[in-house]
This record gives sequence, structure tokens and C-alpha cells, in this order.
Amino acid sequence: MRVLTVDDSRTILAMLHHTLSNAGFEVLQAEDGQKGLDVLKNESVDVVITDINMPVMDGIEFIKNVRASGMHNSLPILILTTETSQDKRDQGRAAGGTGWIVKPFDPEKLISVIHRVVH
Amino acid sequence: MSDLDDFKATYFDECSELLLELEEQFAAIEEGDRSSDRLNAVFRAIHSIKGGGGAFGFQGLVGFAHAYETLLDHVRDGRVELSEPVAALCIRANDIVADFVAAAKDGTELEAGYGAEEKHQFDALTSGDPDAAGEPMEEFDIDFVPVMVTIAGAEDDNDVVAEEPLSLAVLDDAFEAPPLAPEAGHWIIRFTPHSELYARANDPLLLLRELGTLGDIKVRAVLDEIPALADFEPFGVYCSWEITLSSDTVTEAAIAEVFEFVEGNCDLSITHGEAPVAEEALDAEIEAMPSFAELMAVEDEPVAAVAEAAPTAELLSFADLAESLKPALKAAPPLMPPPLKQAVPAEEFEGENDRRSGAEDRRNGVQSIRVDLDKIDRVVNMVGELVITQSMLTQQMDETLRARYQELVRGLEVLAQTTRGLQDSVMAIRAQPVKTVFSRMPRLVRELATKTGKKIRLETIGENTEIDKTIIEQLSDPLTHMIRNSADHGIESPEKRLAAGKNESGAIRLSAEQAGGNILIAVEDDGGGINRERVLQVARDRGVVGPEQALSDEQIDQLIFAPGFSTASEVSDISGRGVGMDVVLSNIKKIGGSVHVKSWTGKGTRMTLRLPLTLAVLDVMLVKVAGSPYVIPLSSIVETIQCARANFSRMPTGGQVLQVRGEYVQVVDLASRFEMTTEVERDNRFVVLCEAEGGVKVAVIVDDIIGQQQVVIKSLEENFQSIEGIAGGTILGDGNVALIVDVQGLKSATAAHKSAA
Repeated sequence: MRVLTVDDSRTILAMLHHTLSNAGFEVLQAEDGQKGLDVLKNESVDVVITDINMPVMDGIEFIKNVRASGMHNSLPILILTTETSQDKRDQGRAAGGTGWIVKPFDPEKLISVIHRVVH
Repeated sequence: MSDLDDFKATYFDECSELLLELEEQFAAIEEGDRSSDRLNAVFRAIHSIKGGGGAFGFQGLVGFAHAYETLLDHVRDGRVELSEPVAALCIRANDIVADFVAAAKDGTELEAGYGAEEKHQFDALTSGDPDAAGEPMEEFDIDFVPVMVTIAGAEDDNDVVAEEPLSLAVLDDAFEAPPLAPEAGHWIIRFTPHSELYARANDPLLLLRELGTLGDIKVRAVLDEIPALADFEPFGVYCSWEITLSSDTVTEAAIAEVFEFVEGNCDLSITHGEAPVAEEALDAEIEAMPSFAELMAVEDEPVAAVAEAAPTAELLSFADLAESLKPALKAAPPLMPPPLKQAVPAEEFEGENDRRSGAEDRRNGVQSIRVDLDKIDRVVNMVGELVITQSMLTQQMDETLRARYQELVRGLEVLAQTTRGLQDSVMAIRAQPVKTVFSRMPRLVRELATKTGKKIRLETIGENTEIDKTIIEQLSDPLTHMIRNSADHGIESPEKRLAAGKNESGAIRLSAEQAGGNILIAVEDDGGGINRERVLQVARDRGVVGPEQALSDEQIDQLIFAPGFSTASEVSDISGRGVGMDVVLSNIKKIGGSVHVKSWTGKGTRMTLRLPLTLAVLDVMLVKVAGSPYVIPLSSIVETIQCARANFSRMPTGGQVLQVRGEYVQVVDLASRFEMTTEVERDNRFVVLCEAEGGVKVAVIVDDIIGQQQVVIKSLEENFQSIEGIAGGTILGDGNVALIVDVQGLKSATAAHKSAA
């Protein structure tokens, strides 16, 4: 299974990579929403995990763009954020986010959340 | 622990970059640039520092960064004005963040209450009420509950890898609601998705699967809303579900959590204690439902096309869901019933917590365990012994015995088969594909092509051929030398090739195949072939070959393996150092193999390595000296000669030499070498002509030659002590111990003897 991780923090990308690859996922990385879109143009992935606060293109815009492309209507997108406030999460969902993961993430929960949204 | 340390190192690197960025941004802000880009960048930097810090449980840092972040959030959306004092506060805050980061990095403690003053000011600014400030500091520490968590998958490393400081703000109810007392019995869940649910890539099937992990579930699809075909909208949502969940332990909160991600995108009711859905009624309903295929059969194309184009994007019908069920069915067969009935999700499926993870399933698919190589070697050795015993038993069966004990013969045949099978299986454990070595070669060839200015392509064949791991490890150097040799001496320059009517790019073919009990690895090039005249000339010049000695083409070709031999007109930095091919020979001999070269003038050269499948079993010649058995590795034996026919000459020093085809070879009498006396007359004894490392020959005199066989090598050092001239021991089929003659050691020991004398 392939996961695209989008986050401007190298630490978070590294931890995601470690956790996900240990669980048997193939991990693709992008540092912001725009780069995430670029990856999706050329690669097919099974699930996307994205941060909200990012330079260039933030997570909300990224999700909107993914959904608007029409190519990824059934691609699960998980919002990874420290924002526990309901409004960020709602914005993410309104943009088309499938679910969310609260940072700092518990590796086991991360994997189980992915399995909740991916076949 | 190292993973965590790696992450921390990454984090601190990132922090120093972010702190630097903060400085730059504030430098611009101080100059009057208050653009949202700047403020967003500042916010993100603090946000990232906080986020990473949370992952490692740096509580002081996170607490301060959180308060600062809140202020920055207020600043960037205009709730707090970025006045001079606020900007000054921010700059001071940056320094405090830097101090927190440094303390976390060095593992030191900052003085209690460090940054509290600034935090108080943040709180005052963001709450808009200076008097309300003061409490949040405590609040943080209370909310901050670190939880030990190990990273999934790092089974061999039970270290605590991450702490989970729970979120600082109010947690989502569904996620963290206090567990209610479990209520035994049935839960009825009515679930009607809205179209937004599908637009966000949520999938009812996954929710049902998740519910299945909580207990026994019965699912009924409510299909009453499906309209007549004429009114059917491809992207319409018509299906809902009624699920009966039976469990003694499940709570309403746990059920609600399953639907957490689709809250607001569906109608959901969870009620307790109703009677389960009647199954008979369900079955009847299933029968009555037309299949999607039936629906589609009378459908006109446009709708079919739409249905195909967006099968899961929006729910078409229950049958469309069936499509989305298929992959899940394949992934987790026990969860779901067989096809067709899957079309109607009114089916019972059992939840199994431990079966639901795809990653777990994959792991179950190809299971592996890590085993000490030593343990495998022990098994390999014992199987080797078994093979030898079995072949000994078979040999003992003469015609008379065969006729008399037919059952025994049959039993021995089965034993032979089983033993061979066992041997193959055990060898397969140690075997690795040669790919591991071959894969390094394309890069080598590219480098060589660049260095030599030649055009070379590499073909590899049979890279999945498997050989013993130990042999594979020893193959890299010889293969590198051989390929270098081919690229440097074999393949001609593009101009020469074109002149010779060849394709200007040369080819090196690297191939591996199994041939009987051996693996053949060949390096073949389509270059100019070995220049025999020059090889012979150089060999004569260096005294490798006597002036009168006549050599066949094949013998000349083999000269390239002689020590210190190089024919490159000028020494190149690639392979012309005069070492190389002799190293190949000695390396390959060390692992019980042999090297053969064949060359066609103007057409190319092929060098073939013949390697044993395994190192555990050795092909030997069994000989007798003074009544005791000895074995000599077959790979080092060149030929055997009867002493009566051998041409010995006595040296003036008293030593003996043997003249073989114009070559003088040192003689070692095993009996006297090992200080034994033999009764066997000189003329009835045998010379075993052996070749030691570097192509140096030794004539070993033994009493008798018994025959060839396979033996399992036993280390002498482990069982006794190391002896010069003996490579190890082995137990023969009849239980006798035989020593393995170390030809190389014999040679050097004798040489040492001589020089000492």
C-alpha cells in the first residue's frame, strides 16, 4: 500500500516514514501542498496524510485541489494536525478530508486510523 | 533507541533552521514588513517546533510554544495588533524558545518558571483580559499526560520510542470520552449516509468492517429508497443500513467512535436492547432483489459508462457497493461471505480484531524468522553426514545382499531420496540468488566504460540462480577482477571494433547457471580474445614458461592466471597491475571452485567459474598413508601418477623434485612429513600432483588411492588444535576419522622447514 505524506516538518515526515514503512507501507513524501499535488499527478497512492499548516499551499487548499481535480474522489485523505480545535478539523473535512489524526500521533493509532479509511 | 535518537537529531536540525528563519522574519518585520506571509511563516515555525517537541515530550518547550503560537495566531488574524511592544515580546519569546530547544537538546533543566513572565503576557494579550492570566500555566501541565508508546513494527526494539502528550486543548469527545459501563446484549445502529460522506472518500463498507471488530454484527441493507430505473440518478444516494451488534463489552462511545469521521455526513442512531433483525425476512428480501447485473443488462450505455467511471465516488446502488466490497473480500476473506450474497450486504460477518490489519495480513503471507547462521550450519553439517552415511550404506549393498534383503534395498532407496530432498531443502536455506553480487556490476561496467573510453554494455543472465551465502560473499572480488579484465583487455576501442566489422559497443555477458552439483558463472566478452603470442612471450620473458616448453593454446590461455602476470602493454589503473587474475584463481580455489578460460581470437573470451553449491560438503580424494586414511580436496588435485612411472630427481640439497612435462615440482612425502613409517614399497606408492594457491604445484606422495567421495568438514581447531598442513578432519562412512590435507599449508610448511634447515 502506498501512502503520500505531506508535511513541512522533516521530523514529522521522518517519524511518519518510520512508522509507516515498519507497518509495510510504501511511503512518498512532499513538503507542502503544491508538492503533494505534483506527486499525485504522477503517482497513484492509496491514502494521503497531510499536515494543515504548511508554506506555499496549506493542507486545506491541498485537499480542495485534490478533490477538485476529479481524479481522486475516492482517495482517502487524513488530516494530520496538532489543531485539536473543531474549526480546523471541520475546515479540513469540508474541503474533503476523510478523517484526521491528532499530532503527536501514537504510531499504533496512526496505523489503525489508516485501516479505518483504506480497504 | 537509535530510531528515536535519529528523529531527535532530525528535529534539532530542523529547529535550528526554524529558529534562524524566525530571526530573518523578525528582522524584516522590524523593518516594517507586516505582510501575512511573514506572520504565517513565523506562526508555522513555532508551530513546527511545538509539534516536534510534543512528539518527544519536551513539556516545557511545548507549553511555552503553545502560548506563543496562540499569540501569533491572534496577531496574524488581526485580533492582536503587532505593536512595538508586542514585536519586542515576540523577539524575546524567540530567544526563550531557542533556550528551551537547547535545554531539550542537551538534556538540561531550565530554571523553574523560565519564560513564565512572557507566557503570562501572551495569555493577557490573547484573552484580552489581563486579570484572567495566570492560571493557564498550571492547566497545561495537568492536560499534558504523557503516554508511553512503542513504534509499531519495531519488534526487536522494545524501547519506548515516543511519548504521547495528549492534546493541549479540548479533546474530541468521541475520541476521548470516558468509557461508559459496557452493556451486554444488542445494539441497533441505523446508518444513512449522505452524499458528502462519499465526497470525502469515506466508505460505508469500511465502517461496517470496523463495527465488525467490536462484536458479532448482522447487517441489513435498507433498499426501500432505490427508485425505479427511470428515476435512478447515478450519483444519488439510496442505500442505508441497519446493523445489529451483539457484544458484552462494547459501549455506545466505542460505536460512536467508529462513525467519528462521518459525523454530520450521515444520519446515525444507536439504540440499545432491541431484538435482532429477523434473518428469514432478510433472506426473503435478498431473493427479491434484482442483481446489479440484471439492472445493467437493460441499461443504456451512458448510465453504464457513468457507473463505471465513478464506481465508488458516489453511491449508485447496493450493487455498486458490492463492487467496492470485492477488494475487501479478497483482503479479508473471513470477514465476508462468498460472492453474489456480497451484493446484498444483509449478511452476517464476524469481526476479528486480529485479522483486520492489512499490514498484518501481509506479514502473515510471507512469514520469516531470523536464525543464527551457526544453527543453520549445524543442520547443514548433520545433513551432510546423513548424506554420506546413506551413500556408504548404499555402497555396502552388494549383489548377494540385494537379492536377499529386497525390502531393505527399497528402504535404502527411499532413504536416499529423502536424504537428497532434505539436503536440497537445507541448502536452500543458505542459498541466495547471485543477483546480490550481479547487481553491483552494471555500475562497475559504466565506470569502466567511462574510464577506458570504450562503449560497453553488460548483459546478465540467470541472476536468480542460487548459491550458498558464504560463496556469494566470496564472489564479489573475483567477478570484479574478471569484469575489469574483460573491459580493459578484452573489449577493444570503438575504432578498432568498427575496423574489425563489429558493433562499436562491446558486450560483456555475465551469466549464472546450475549444472549438476555445481554453479557455473561465466564472464564472456565479444572482444579481441587473448593475444596468445604476447602472453607466451611475456611468460617466457618472466620465466613462467621454460624457453623450450611447447604449450597448447589452452595452456597459454590459462597462463593469464599465473601470479604476477599481466599483458597490458602499459599498466592501466584498472586491471594492469599484474595482480588480478591470479587473485581470481586463488579466491575461487579457496571456496572449492575452479576457473577455466576459453578464448577465440578476434571474437572474444569466456571465463567460467565452476563453484560448488555449498561449502559444507567437500569433494575429496580418499588416500592412505601408513595405514591411516587422509583426504585431499579434489579441487586442488591436478593429476595422479604411479610412483613407478614418475620421474623423480634428487636435488643436491638432498630434497627431491618431480619432473612433470618439463616442470620441476617439489615433492612432499606425507608419511615422512607426518613422521610416520610406511611399509609400502616406493614403486607401489602414488604421487598426487596438487596445485596450491597461486598455481604452485606440489607432488604429494601417498601409499594408496582409495577413491573419490564427499565429506563433511570438521574444524580441527574446535576439536583439537590447529596443525600445519592439515585443514581439518572428517568422519568417514565407516566411522574412521580422516584428516584433510591442506596443500597450501603443506607447501609453505615444507618451505619453512627448508629455509630453517
